Amino acid sequence: MNLWKRMLCACRRRSPWIFHMNSGSCNGCDIELIAALTPRYDAEQLGVLLQGSPRHADILCVTGPVTRTSAPAVHTVYEQVCGPKAVVAIGSCPASTNVFIDSRVLVGPLDKHIPVDVFVPGCPPRPDAIVKGIAAAASLLADRTDSDACAEPPAVSAGNAEEVQS
Amino acid sequence: MNLLTALARFLIFPGLLFAVPAAWLVLWLERKTVALLQQRIGPPFGQPFFDFVKLLGKSTPPRAGVNGTLMRAWPLIAVSASLGAVGLLPVLPSRGGFQGDLILLLALMELPAICLIIAGFSSRSLFGEIGSAREAVLLISYNLVFLMAVVSIAVSQHSFRLESLATAPITAWRYLGLVAILVCLPAKLHVNPFSLPNAEQEIYSGPMTEYAGFELALWQLSHGLEWIAGVGLVATLAVPPSAYAWIDVISVLFLGFMLVLVVSLIAAATARLAIDTTVRFYWQCTLVFAVAAISSALLMRLRS
Amino acid sequence: MKILSLLWNNLRRGVATLRYPAAPPMTSGYRGLVRFDPTLCTGCAVCRFRCTARAITFKAAGKEFTWAYNPAQCTFCGRCVDGCKDHALSQDPNSPPSYVTAGSLSTSYTVKRKTPPPKSPPAPAGTSTQTGDTHESRQ
Repeated sequence: MNLWKRMLCACRRRSPWIFHMNSGSCNGCDIELIAALTPRYDAEQLGVLLQGSPRHADILCVTGPVTRTSAPAVHTVYEQVCGPKAVVAIGSCPASTNVFIDSRVLVGPLDKHIPVDVFVPGCPPRPDAIVKGIAAAASLLADRTDSDACAEPPAVSAGNAEEVQS
Repeated sequence: MNLLTALARFLIFPGLLFAVPAAWLVLWLERKTVALLQQRIGPPFGQPFFDFVKLLGKSTPPRAGVNGTLMRAWPLIAVSASLGAVGLLPVLPSRGGFQGDLILLLALMELPAICLIIAGFSSRSLFGEIGSAREAVLLISYNLVFLMAVVSIAVSQHSFRLESLATAPITAWRYLGLVAILVCLPAKLHVNPFSLPNAEQEIYSGPMTEYAGFELALWQLSHGLEWIAGVGLVATLAVPPSAYAWIDVISVLFLGFMLVLVVSLIAAATARLAIDTTVRFYWQCTLVFAVAAISSALLMRLRS
Repeated sequence: MKILSLLWNNLRRGVATLRYPAAPPMTSGYRGLVRFDPTLCTGCAVCRFRCTARAITFKAAGKEFTWAYNPAQCTFCGRCVDGCKDHALSQDPNSPPSYVTAGSLSTSYTVKRKTPPPKSPPAPAGTSTQTGDTHESRQ
C-alpha cells in the first residue's frame, strides 16, 4: 500500500464517527451508549463523535430488536451511511431478539437485514464494553481500503433465525 | 501591493500554508478546551487532521433530483473565501495592502455563512432548509452589530485600509469596537450559545445534513478557517504596532491563542439559545453599544 | 456566574476519564456469561425451563444429553443459575467480550448420563432416568 493509502487507513481507525439508531429497543442500550460519551468513559479520546446525520458517520450503532415498522428505516439509514462503513450491534437484542423472541412485531435479528460487523453482547452492555466494540469496528474499517467497502450483505433466507439461535 | 507580496500573503503566510494547519490546530484547541472544562480527556492532538483525511476517503452519495455540481461548489467557495480573508489579515502591517481592503475582508468573511445558507437550500433536505433559515436569521442579527463595530473602528481612524488600521495608535473607541466584534464572534463561528444553525441532533445536522465525503471535509476546513479569520481580525487590530515585525507576529499569534481559549470557555459555559433569545440579544442589547460606537466615531470625525 | 466557578473547579480537579482501555472495577455479583460445569450437571433441564429468553437448549437422547447456550440470546437475568439445584451453572463476573462472527460465543456440551450408584434396597418406584452423581451428600 502506498503512503496515501496507509495514511487513510490510519486516519479511519482514529476517527470513527458514529450514528446511533434505535430499532425498537427498550432504551437501556441507548442510555449506556450515551453514557459512553460522558466524561467518565469519554469515547472522544478515541476520536469518536456522535453525528447528527447518517451521511456524516462511519459506524452505525444499532440497538433494539428490529421491529416491523423500523425495518425499512434501518434499511434506509444503512443506505444513507456513506462507505466505507461498519455496523455495531449493541446489546443482545439486535444479535438475536433476546427475550422478545416470540413477539409478532419483530422481524428477526439485525443481521437478517444489514451486515453486522461487531456484536457487543450484554443486556445492556457496560459503556466500556461499548467503547471497545466501537474501537474494534474502527480497526475493521481501517482494513477496508475501498471507499465503497462494507461487510458482506446477508443472504436472504428464512433459516437465518434458527441458525443464530443454534 | 505587488503580485509577489500578494502571492506570498495568500499562499504562504498567513495564507494557505499557514492557515490550513492553523485551522486544524484551532479546531483541536477548541475541542480540547471544552473537554478539559468538562473533566474529559478530549480528542488527541491532530484529530481534525485525521477527520479531514478520513473524510477525503469516503464516497459521496449519488444526488438524485438535486444539482450535484452546485452542491459541491458551495463548500469550495466557502473555503476559498475564508482563505482569502485570512490572507488579507494585516499580520505584518508593512507588507502591502490596498485602499479599501477592509471592505474586501468583510465581504470575504460573510461569504462562508451565505454559502452555508444556500447549501442548505440547494440540498433540498427538510433539515437543511430549517438549518438554513435559522442561519439566515442569525446572520441578520449579528451582522448589524459586527459591521457597525468594524465601520466605527475604520471611521475613527479615518481609513478603510487594514494596514493603516493596524499601524495607527490604538484609541479607546477601537477597544469598544473590538469588544462588540468579540461578542459577535460566537455567532459567526456557530459555537454555543449561538450554535443554532448546526444544532447537533436537534435538526440532524442543519444545512450540512446531506453533505458527505470530501465536501464535508471542505466544510470542516472552512469552519476552521473562519475561526482563524475572525480571531485574527480581532487580534491584528488589538495589538499595538511595535518596532520589530517579529514582535508583532508573535503578539498577534499569542493574542489569537488567548482569544480561542476565551471563545471556547464561552462555548463550554453556555447552552444553546433559541432563535428568539438570540435575535433579542443582538437587536436589543448589543445594538445599543454598536450604535453608540459608530455615532461617537462619526462625532469625532465631524469635530476633527 | 456559578458556571464559571463550576468550570474552574472542573479544571482544578482534573480529568476524570478512564483512559482507554481501562474499565471501572466490576461490581461483585456481576452477571456475565453463563458458565456450565458438566461434571455437576444431572440433566434436569430446569435451567431451560426457567430461561426467559430461550438461550439454553437441552436435547436428551438416551444415554447422553446436550446442553447448549447462546449468549446472543441471553439477557443475563440469572434465573437459570438460581434454579440449578446441582450448582452446575454460574455466571462469569466479567463483562462479556465483543465478537465479530455471529454465534462465536455459543457453547455446547454433550454430557454422558452417569450410571446411578448401586443401591442395596430396591427402589420402590424408581424412574429409569434417575441419575446419581458420585457425591454422597447429594443423595
